[in-house]
Amino acid sequence: MTLQQKLDDFKAKFESGAPPFNTPKASIELMHRATSELRQSGLAERALKSGGHAPAFTLNNQDGNAISSVELLAKGPLVITFFRGHW
Amino acid sequence: MELEALQSALPDIQHFGANLVAITPELEKYGRSVHRRLNLGFDVLTDRGLQVASQFALVFVLPDYLKTLYLSFGTKLDEFNGEDAFRLPMPARYIVDQHRVIRSADVSPDYTIRPEPSETLRALQELAAAPGKPASH
Repeated sequence: MTLQQKLDDFKAKFESGAPPFNTPKASIELMHRATSELRQSGLAERALKSGGHAPAFTLNNQDGNAISSVELLAKGPLVITFFRGHW
Repeated sequence: MELEALQSALPDIQHFGANLVAITPELEKYGRSVHRRLNLGFDVLTDRGLQVASQFALVFVLPDYLKTLYLSFGTKLDEFNGEDAFRLPMPARYIVDQHRVIRSADVSPDYTIRPEPSETLRALQELAAAPGKPASH
């Protein structure tokens, strides 16, 4: 199963209103509204794109160690995934 | 789910000589818990104040109704992110080459839609084959 199929399955269960999530219909509508507004804002089109220059960064990892993009890029290409959180 | 899928693809990513990092606005203790729970072989980096996400122009502020809804779900972004602003990054996956040029960018305003790891591997393969040329998309 592809990642998108898994995401679609989860979404279908979450939005079904059935256990274990029991998500109220009104909540689902609010989430759809938020996604639709974000889409219409055009924000995604203004994010950095292919061909652009990636900012350098140094951030702490899960063990509190500083990780530098410059050091990682000295070794090879870098895949960066931005995610919202553990929730 | 995306992090798990990327974990499965990690050996292939490394096969192309590439590294992988995940960036979240959450404080380190939450990054640590994700890292442990999913047994990740790549770093989860804490982007305090969404500074890096801002540089990639990914940040949005939650509208009040969504903030209220998230709080009702127990998603306490103020605690998780260590700021009161209730901001999040749009989910995004980038490939950066060794000249710091972005070779692939996938940004989604809809957090339920994510690119397949196989697409990332294909882009890495193109990059390995033609390191001086921008990828086709």
